[in-house]
Amino acid sequence: MSWEKELIDKANEIIEMYPQKRSALGPLLYLAQEKDGYISNDSIVEISNLVGITEVQVKSVASFYSMYKEEQTGKYLLSVCKSISCEINDSRSVIDSVKNFTGLENYETDTEKVFTFEEVECIGACGGAPAVQVNYETVEGLTSEKSVQMCEWLKEERPEIIVADELQEKFGGVKSFDWAIKDNTGTSYSVPGFQNIGTAKEKSQ
Amino acid sequence: MTDQIKINVNGSEISSKPDQLIIEACEDSGIHIPRFCWHKRMDPVGMCRMCLVEIETPRGKALVPSCTTKVSEDLVVDTESDVVKKAQEGVLEFLLINHPLDCPVCDKAGECPLQDQTMAYGPGESRFVEDKRHFEKPIPISEIILLDRERCILCARCTRFSDEISGDPLIEFIQRGNKTQVNTFPDEPFRSYFSGNTVQICPVGALTSSSYRFKARPWDLKKVSSTSNCSSVGDSVELNVSQNKMLRILGEDNEFTNQGWLSDKGRYNFEYLHSEKRIETPLLVKNSNKESTINETMELISNEIFTSDNRNISFIVGHNSTNEEYYALNKFVKNLNKVKNGNSVGSINLYLSDDYLYNGFFNDDYSLGEIKDLDSADTIILWAQDIKDNLPTLYLRIKQAVRNGKKLLIFGHTNTAIKQLSEEYYGENIVTNNFEFNVEISDIPNLSKYIDGKDVLAIVGKSSPLQNVNPIFQLVKHLDENSNLKILNCFSKGNTLGALQNLDIVKGLNEFVTEFDSSKKNIVFTVGSNPVNNSIYSHKVKDTLIDADFVVSLDLFKNETTELSDIILPTTTFGEKEGTFTNLEMRTLMQNKILPTPGSALNEWEYWLILSNKMNLLESYETEEELNSMLCKDYIDNGNTPSFDNLNKPSNLDGILNSKTINIEVENVDSTNLEILFVHRLYGDTSSQINSPSISMLGSERFIEMNSATYFGSYMLNSDVVTLIQGNNSIQVNVNINESLPDNLLVVPINRRGFQNLNPEKKVELEAAKSREQLSVT
Ligand code: SF4
Ligand code: FES
Ligand code: FES
Repeated sequence: MSWEKELIDKANEIIEMYPQKRSALGPLLYLAQEKDGYISNDSIVEISNLVGITEVQVKSVASFYSMYKEEQTGKYLLSVCKSISCEINDSRSVIDSVKNFTGLENYETDTEKVFTFEEVECIGACGGAPAVQVNYETVEGLTSEKSVQMCEWLKEERPEIIVADELQEKFGGVKSFDWAIKDNTGTSYSVPGFQNIGTAKEKSQ
Repeated sequence: MTDQIKINVNGSEISSKPDQLIIEACEDSGIHIPRFCWHKRMDPVGMCRMCLVEIETPRGKALVPSCTTKVSEDLVVDTESDVVKKAQEGVLEFLLINHPLDCPVCDKAGECPLQDQTMAYGPGESRFVEDKRHFEKPIPISEIILLDRERCILCARCTRFSDEISGDPLIEFIQRGNKTQVNTFPDEPFRSYFSGNTVQICPVGALTSSSYRFKARPWDLKKVSSTSNCSSVGDSVELNVSQNKMLRILGEDNEFTNQGWLSDKGRYNFEYLHSEKRIETPLLVKNSNKESTINETMELISNEIFTSDNRNISFIVGHNSTNEEYYALNKFVKNLNKVKNGNSVGSINLYLSDDYLYNGFFNDDYSLGEIKDLDSADTIILWAQDIKDNLPTLYLRIKQAVRNGKKLLIFGHTNTAIKQLSEEYYGENIVTNNFEFNVEISDIPNLSKYIDGKDVLAIVGKSSPLQNVNPIFQLVKHLDENSNLKILNCFSKGNTLGALQNLDIVKGLNEFVTEFDSSKKNIVFTVGSNPVNNSIYSHKVKDTLIDADFVVSLDLFKNETTELSDIILPTTTFGEKEGTFTNLEMRTLMQNKILPTPGSALNEWEYWLILSNKMNLLESYETEEELNSMLCKDYIDNGNTPSFDNLNKPSNLDGILNSKTINIEVENVDSTNLEILFVHRLYGDTSSQINSPSISMLGSERFIEMNSATYFGSYMLNSDVVTLIQGNNSIQVNVNINESLPDNLLVVPINRRGFQNLNPEKKVELEAAKSREQLSVT
């Protein structure tokens, strides 16, 4: 058994939210990824038993979507946007300086497992281009200096929970929308924070 | 809705069923649209785009995939326009971008849809100068199937088959984009009873079977249609032969039976035909297996029958003979009975080597169903042997019916493997471990909801060799009183129905051992049967055969039975003989000859003919054809009898339904204390499978099943390898937990070596074995 009872209970709670067990596959894969930083074959076996489909069917979904990782990510997954709006707002220099700072190429993870770097397509923050996500928490209006500062901060502070608003305050610039409600939740690993599946983490002030 | 609608294809009007797909409607009218992913027995997916056609829409002409677009009244379709041709060229150019050019070493070359359609519809030249994508070539995805991912064009036929049709989705698309590939989960091979079908439907050479790899080129193959002996469904097959060797068996699409599919056993169980161990000359076993001649042995046998008075003669027959052979044997028995008047012969009896034989439902008492009734019934009731293991292609039909909304109700403890298909599973709360009812039939929960006034097809037969059959009759009576009932008699083995139709009176092995009178002189013939293996009566049969005075075995291989014989006569089998086969719905189909007779082997009927003539009981037939026309006279309805001539008519290639009077005289074997439930697994240790190297290992694992309450509670086990002990027998086995089983019932495969001497009514002891290694028969 690779999953502890607590995680299985959590999984069963999620499964109950869906009319068919197999529909819970997506969220369960995030649970698996939050556990190990990637989707292990052991987790796939576990999920296949939980939702009643074969292992290879789980694997098929897990290997199709780029947000499910097949290899362990670092503590901080840096997803730098390379799509058009960011591109015309000089994302090149952000990409270069993040690469330069971490010493990583696309999809690489450093040996201490602190950072994983990836260039991604549009992350829906065009209004605040260029944009970056850390563990899927978005920072907008970055510059090359700010992005390096952010990486330095991550490396030194090693925050347990990454919160978009905090990153934005510290390192961000222009935002797509500035009237959004203040949000103190974030994520603790390379998984998007969803309230209903429990991957969103509250950061104490 | 009208029955037919009109559509216009390429300028001419054709009629089509409403709701049909364009590709199907065109096919029915003889207009071929190229395709890779569409397969008429599976749901369309529109993966490959090869089937693009132009249709007229209110906004002008549009290219649509004809495999996902349905016809509508007055639809105008163009399958040959310039735009369509351009699209086809484009699709092929894209498909070939990553397709390796290894046709010269590819098994599919010569019958490859990609090759053929590239020739017919392709651009003729490639503009692709970049490197092709590469994968490791080929990887085994099971013991019998190999996968070459470079060749795959991602049509999803194999993955859809394993999901929709066979229900064991162990292969899937992995990865995305350029890396997309079919694959299995690591350490979870594509172990499916039906995996070979994916090789047949793969439109390229991506999936190949180990038994056919590099063996032949399609244009060198001689082909003939025939009927498989694998189960009593009588799957239609095409036999492929080169240089007098059977190299491959393909499924043929018979609407009424297998619909193109085969089990892997039906597909790959043929290498034994050319095994070095085949017996090709008559052998005198007691004379240290001295080779003999037909003449000498026939002389010996007829002398045995005649030299002293009052001999009892028994015939133990198997299920692989043709109807003509059973008929000839029956005639021989009748002839011997004539001689009997002269008092030289005592009683003569015919026994079928099948533990699942019981009196069944025949002869007008109930209306008999067909397999196709699965598709029209409201409710399907199943109380019989494990269907997936014993009638694999019937399982596929049941699965398909359930997919189409039919309700399946399962009784008993043998069909746990398909429990998830059932609407109601009447297990231990309803049926005891001895296969009797726990409750009044009228009190079975929800039963009346599914049967009252409904069309019901009941697939019924013995679930276990030791079983009181009265509950089956009670259930059927109840169903008959409350529903519109049809019955499919579940006798699962080969040509059992042919034997029942053509032998006057048939009994079982239990009758053989109990009727055996050792005070008399006894002659026993075993005819294509090995009753000393695979039967719960094996040990008794063995003692009886040792006791018998003279034993003659007609067989292909030496086996447990022939060891006890005096004479072995070599016979022919599947592919080597012509004749008819009758399936479980009493549909008679042709079995054709394409291989030469090995050595001095003869067909079974030829032996009966020679013996008759030796005894001056002159017979009036000389060929299978003559036997066939003689046996056709006994059919109840003479309107459409399954004669060779009739069966070879194009309109009858799917077989002819017809019946004969059937007399089975088997006593009810009651059991009040079943501890062990014997089941037959698809793969076992028959001589034919052991001598077919590609599949011989598939039946070697020895395992037993039980639920976890029994495992932990009654036996207090904690190891999945245990030693099973009963009296002097001790066998190492693997344990599989199966929660659908009732408490305190062990399921044991009787067709795997080592289990036959167990007494199913005595408790066994289980001890944890020391090592955890996988245990196989060596
Ligand atoms: S392996 Fe063959 S059947 Fe399966 S997707 Fe590829 S081309 Fe199609
Ligand atoms: S292009 Fe970068 S967020 Fe949309
Ligand atoms: S056959 Fe229609 S898309 Fe493949």
